[in-house]
Amino acid sequence: MTTFASLLERFLYRPDEPTGPFFELVPDSGAEPPAAPAETPEEFLSFLLENETYAVPLGAVREILKIAAITPVPRADASLVGIMNVRGDVLPVFDVKPTLRLSEAAIEAEAFTPTRQQRVIVVRDLQGDVGLLVDSVTGVVKLMLSKLEAAPPSRGEKHAIAGLARREGKLFILLDVEQVLS
Amino acid sequence: MAERALAEFVAEANEILETLGRDLLVLDTQRGRDADPDLLNAVFRAAHSLKGLSSMFGQDRISALAHVTEDVLDSLRLGKIALDDTVLDALVEALDGLQALLRESSSGEETPEVAERGLQLTQRLKEIAGGSVSVIVDVLDAIGLDPAIRNVFTEYEEHRLRENVKKGVGVWKVRAVFALDDFDQRLTTLNNALKPLGEVVSTLPSSQPGQENSIAFDLIFATSRAKTEIDAVVSEGIAVTPLASPLSPTAMTQTVPPPTASYPMAVPASSSPSPLASAPSGPRSESSLRSLTQTVRVDIERLDALMTSIGELLLIRSNIQRLTENATAGQITKQWLSQLQRETRGLERRLDELQNGVLEARMVPLGQVFDKLARLMRRLVRESGKEVDFIVAGGDVELDKLIVEELSDPLMHLLRNALDHGVESPMVRQAHGKLGRGRIRLAAEPRGNQVVITVGDDGAGMDESRIRQVAVERGLVTQEQTGEMDRRELLNLVFLAGFSTREEVSNMSGRGVGLDVVKTNLGRLAGLIDIDSRRGEGTDFILTLPLTLAIIRALIVQSARQTYAVPLNSVLEIVSVRTAQIQTIERREVFEVRGSTLPLVRLSKVFGLREDARDSWFVIVIGIAQQRIGLAVDALVGQQDIVTKPFTGRLQRVPGIAGATDLGDRRPVLVLDVAALMEELIRPQGTGAPGIGDAR
Repeated sequence: MTTFASLLERFLYRPDEPTGPFFELVPDSGAEPPAAPAETPEEFLSFLLENETYAVPLGAVREILKIAAITPVPRADASLVGIMNVRGDVLPVFDVKPTLRLSEAAIEAEAFTPTRQQRVIVVRDLQGDVGLLVDSVTGVVKLMLSKLEAAPPSRGEKHAIAGLARREGKLFILLDVEQVLS
Repeated sequence: MAERALAEFVAEANEILETLGRDLLVLDTQRGRDADPDLLNAVFRAAHSLKGLSSMFGQDRISALAHVTEDVLDSLRLGKIALDDTVLDALVEALDGLQALLRESSSGEETPEVAERGLQLTQRLKEIAGGSVSVIVDVLDAIGLDPAIRNVFTEYEEHRLRENVKKGVGVWKVRAVFALDDFDQRLTTLNNALKPLGEVVSTLPSSQPGQENSIAFDLIFATSRAKTEIDAVVSEGIAVTPLASPLSPTAMTQTVPPPTASYPMAVPASSSPSPLASAPSGPRSESSLRSLTQTVRVDIERLDALMTSIGELLLIRSNIQRLTENATAGQITKQWLSQLQRETRGLERRLDELQNGVLEARMVPLGQVFDKLARLMRRLVRESGKEVDFIVAGGDVELDKLIVEELSDPLMHLLRNALDHGVESPMVRQAHGKLGRGRIRLAAEPRGNQVVITVGDDGAGMDESRIRQVAVERGLVTQEQTGEMDRRELLNLVFLAGFSTREEVSNMSGRGVGLDVVKTNLGRLAGLIDIDSRRGEGTDFILTLPLTLAIIRALIVQSARQTYAVPLNSVLEIVSVRTAQIQTIERREVFEVRGSTLPLVRLSKVFGLREDARDSWFVIVIGIAQQRIGLAVDALVGQQDIVTKPFTGRLQRVPGIAGATDLGDRRPVLVLDVAALMEELIRPQGTGAPGIGDAR
């Protein structure tokens, strides 16, 4: 238990505030049945978007930030909420809900007041660091890649969902960050 | 090779190549004449060090090419071959080849084309270096030089002596005895004294032993001056004796072979590729001139000054620490306050020093990129078959390293453009009563906080009716729109994407990607470009650049409750305008400032922000070239020095915004790209130019 807690702490920008009851979601490594030693489970960071649980590979996540002042950028891509100052660098923050058909339009930074649970997950890809605005971070989960289900046909134009995984009765939707932002 | 070692190698090799390139350019101006032996030696040494350096780092391809280059240079300085066009071209190409190889070493990608080019060059240089001729009648035999002395000469010294004798110069032996403890200084003094009179061919330890605790030298000195003149410059106790007399005129004619016999073309024409044929046309001319390293050389004195400032800052810190301790102890007095104020002022002053010092350290002379461009132009001019003088001025003007680097590609493009589209062929020029030889000028001059770079030609000038026709043909503008444009606006059409006027595509410019890219690149540097073209007289492209991108002064404004930074260098003035004073022309808003009518654009409208109804506006008059426009905002916050973080990655293509900055409260503030905004507002897509933006 403590190992996961410390693992998470590393990724939290200011780990002074509990981010939610994620410990139930973290599988107890002691209870792991030693039936399939051939595959080691991969670690994913899970988070909530409109009450659906999404996950991205933990290795792709650089850090988790609390929301500081976000400045809107006029005439930029509609899903861009704005830019945030992260230790002197500019971080673009995106709202992926419209792309995933979870909301009609992206949040407007001018009228945006973050809730206590909202976070920005910083992911690095080929075009540099990007921030994803999420409703809350729920925890780190270990998932078997071999047991992934294919995503059902998407209603959106983009194939933003890489696959589905279940664990202890809970559904995790694996997000393809590259696709969702393209 | 370890990454770091490679980086060091690339940086050092790059520096050698830059020096080599600069020296070769000087040699180029001496073609046909006797090259300056010091310069030839310098070039030879550069090639030699490059060879050593690259073989030390296992860069065999570079080392091989450097080796043959060194051979050619060695033959040159020994006078075995003459410095003619073939040799110069080969050397310049070898330099290009070395640069290409170095570029690949630095990126770690080796391509067969570059390797093949290296091999071809190696072969060609080998042929040149091998084509030596011995002088049939040795003039040294004719002057009766003591064989004992002659035998100790190196091949190079013998060659220099021979050259001097051929010119009919007398040879003297200058014998000097110096004490052991300071002989090196005194020898240098002697050398410096002799140099203005002639050439010190060799310095030999004397064959006759000197006294105890001293050392004797024989300087073999060639000069046309008389003995009395030599005696006058050397200090007492130095003996000057004639070693060989000048050749008599008759001996001269007998012994000096005619130049053609002495220096036949080193390479038979059939086996050597001509410079034109050997220059691969396409990909090579496209390679970027940016330097391979990100390093800046800084004068140690500048660093010392920074160090001093830091020392002062540390002092201030301990003072403030003490004041804090006093405050916690509850000793806040009037005196305490004034002390704090004094420390704050000191802190401000030192920080200013530090800021200026760091900015200064980032400055490099434009010559760094001008030299490379001059080399490129030399080749392009030869390939073009036109006769063009390339004139460079202002290479000592300093700019931020980043800007200098980013400038190389736009300047290369403009120069190609001037050569290809600007300067006419000699026949056309003569038909118009001009000199057959054209002129292309690259000049820089500082102007306040900016640097103005001009790329000019004395060609035919730009033809606006032709530009109009092409722009309409390509669907960039409609015929009606062009009807409303004045000459300047028509000229500016060449900056639109997809515009290229020449029918045939040359291998230098005319690929259709062109001036629009130049303009975009300059916009990224917060630079502006303007055209001044006179029919029949030529065209100037005028680039205005800030001295540094690192820190700029900006006007902080608010519009629709958002804060923006406007770079002050483009702000002409700020006026207050009441809503009632805003009028419209064809539904476009205009306002009046001191009798002239300017277009007015509300920033909130441009950015699609909800604006509140207001009675009055602050209008920032921005001006670029002859264009003027008013940008209406809600409020002025103040002026501030800002550091702009340019937008990269996913943010790059946001029009009208250059980047973001932080004003101290950790909230990002957008920095406007005034040039891009202006461009967009003066000539919105699909509508004609308003024309009233012209201040003339």
